[in-house]
Amino acid sequence: MILTPNILARLVGIVVLGVLAQLCFFSQVAVFHVSPNLLPALVVALGLLGGTMTGAVVGFSTGILVDCLLIAPLGRSSLVLLGVGYLAGMFRERFEIDSWLAVPLLCGILTVLAELGAGAVAVVLGLDTTVSALVVRDILFKGLYAFLLGWPLYAGLKRLLRPAIVDDLEARRSRRPTVLGT
Amino acid sequence: MYRKQVRRRRAVLALLVIGSFVLLTVTYGRGSDGVQRGVSAVFAPVQSVADRALKPARDMVNWFDETFDARGENSRLRSELDAAREQSVGAQAALAENEQLRKLVGLERSGAIPSGYDTVTARVTAKNPTVWYADVTIDAGSGDGIEVDDPVVAAASGDGAALVGTVSAVTGGTASVELISDHSSRVTAKVVPGGAQGIVKPEVGDPGDLILDFLDPTKLIGQGAAVVTAGWRGPTIASDYPPNLRIGEVVKAPIREQQASQQVHVKPYADLRNLDLVQVLTGGSRR
Repeated sequence: MILTPNILARLVGIVVLGVLAQLCFFSQVAVFHVSPNLLPALVVALGLLGGTMTGAVVGFSTGILVDCLLIAPLGRSSLVLLGVGYLAGMFRERFEIDSWLAVPLLCGILTVLAELGAGAVAVVLGLDTTVSALVVRDILFKGLYAFLLGWPLYAGLKRLLRPAIVDDLEARRSRRPTVLGT
Repeated sequence: MYRKQVRRRRAVLALLVIGSFVLLTVTYGRGSDGVQRGVSAVFAPVQSVADRALKPARDMVNWFDETFDARGENSRLRSELDAAREQSVGAQAALAENEQLRKLVGLERSGAIPSGYDTVTARVTAKNPTVWYADVTIDAGSGDGIEVDDPVVAAASGDGAALVGTVSAVTGGTASVELISDHSSRVTAKVVPGGAQGIVKPEVGDPGDLILDFLDPTKLIGQGAAVVTAGWRGPTIASDYPPNLRIGEVVKAPIREQQASQQVHVKPYADLRNLDLVQVLTGGSRR
């Protein structure tokens, strides 16, 4: 990803809007009694577009903003989201995204991983009560929602960040028609 | 060149991971710090506006969820839902909000709030997105007189209001409320009638099922009994909760479970998944 001040501003805007949409909307609605968690999918999409560095930094920043707005211990969410962003970026750098299913699948799987990671952080910080089996249902449904939202989210972000995406730039250059007679 | 890039990436990753651990170590258990207060002050108005703007959309999604849920019930409920479908989502939201406010006002008038407590009504503006934590942010803070450990109530099923949690951190214009379904929540409670005392704790992932633990196995508790806050007071310390605040109703109380593990299951009166308006009880005589 080519980071210009304009692209940086867009990234900041995307993160702020994404966090506000999550905390003020998605967290407070329930579909089949489970609230969708858009943030891991957002970080995955940005990691897939920008690579490991972008994914990790965006994940860290998103987590810090979430923790600030929830007045929670700083680092609790960023630790998980930076890992998710890094993994998504690593996928982009090592493999070709040649199937439309790859993005939603990654969003779904990494959302499930993010929830499990958040659980691990909670255990490390002290989880001294029983855990209901409904947690499994919640995590799987969150993964399913991320799978469903993953593709439109990725496509929208790709369009928004098009000038900065290296692969897209090369593809566009190769598609440019030859002009004769100039 | 490539190796240098890889090394740089790994260094950034290591730096971010270490940064997260350092921040977690420094800020864990300390409530709000300067950074959070600053960010909160900047974002609180934006969050409040976004929350209000998105409320109709939220209500619509939740309405679909509830409607889908109700499809399995009997025909009487179906006809009621058909009638409800004809009403606009906005009008339903306004009615629901009105009802919540009435219940909260009713709580003050009925004398359920002990003397010495003032109430601050606030709106839930954000909710934790993960399944492991049950905390919400409200749009009132220390500027409104709210302090850490203040109890929080909300409109409940039936009449009146019920306990939903305590304030865990405050900034000038916002506060974080740790719900009674959060894994770290513990509330000393008693059963009415009978007076058996225990501690209400949650089961992570199921906000509709709380556990009343550490009960006296000789005092058997029946289904349908009410659970309220015990509000104990010692010579130097006191419970954060005033006595007799409604918490929930005993829904499962197998005798074997009571005798073996000294616990019964409690369904909270307040809908902890769909909190919108809450009331913070400030002041009080516990300090």
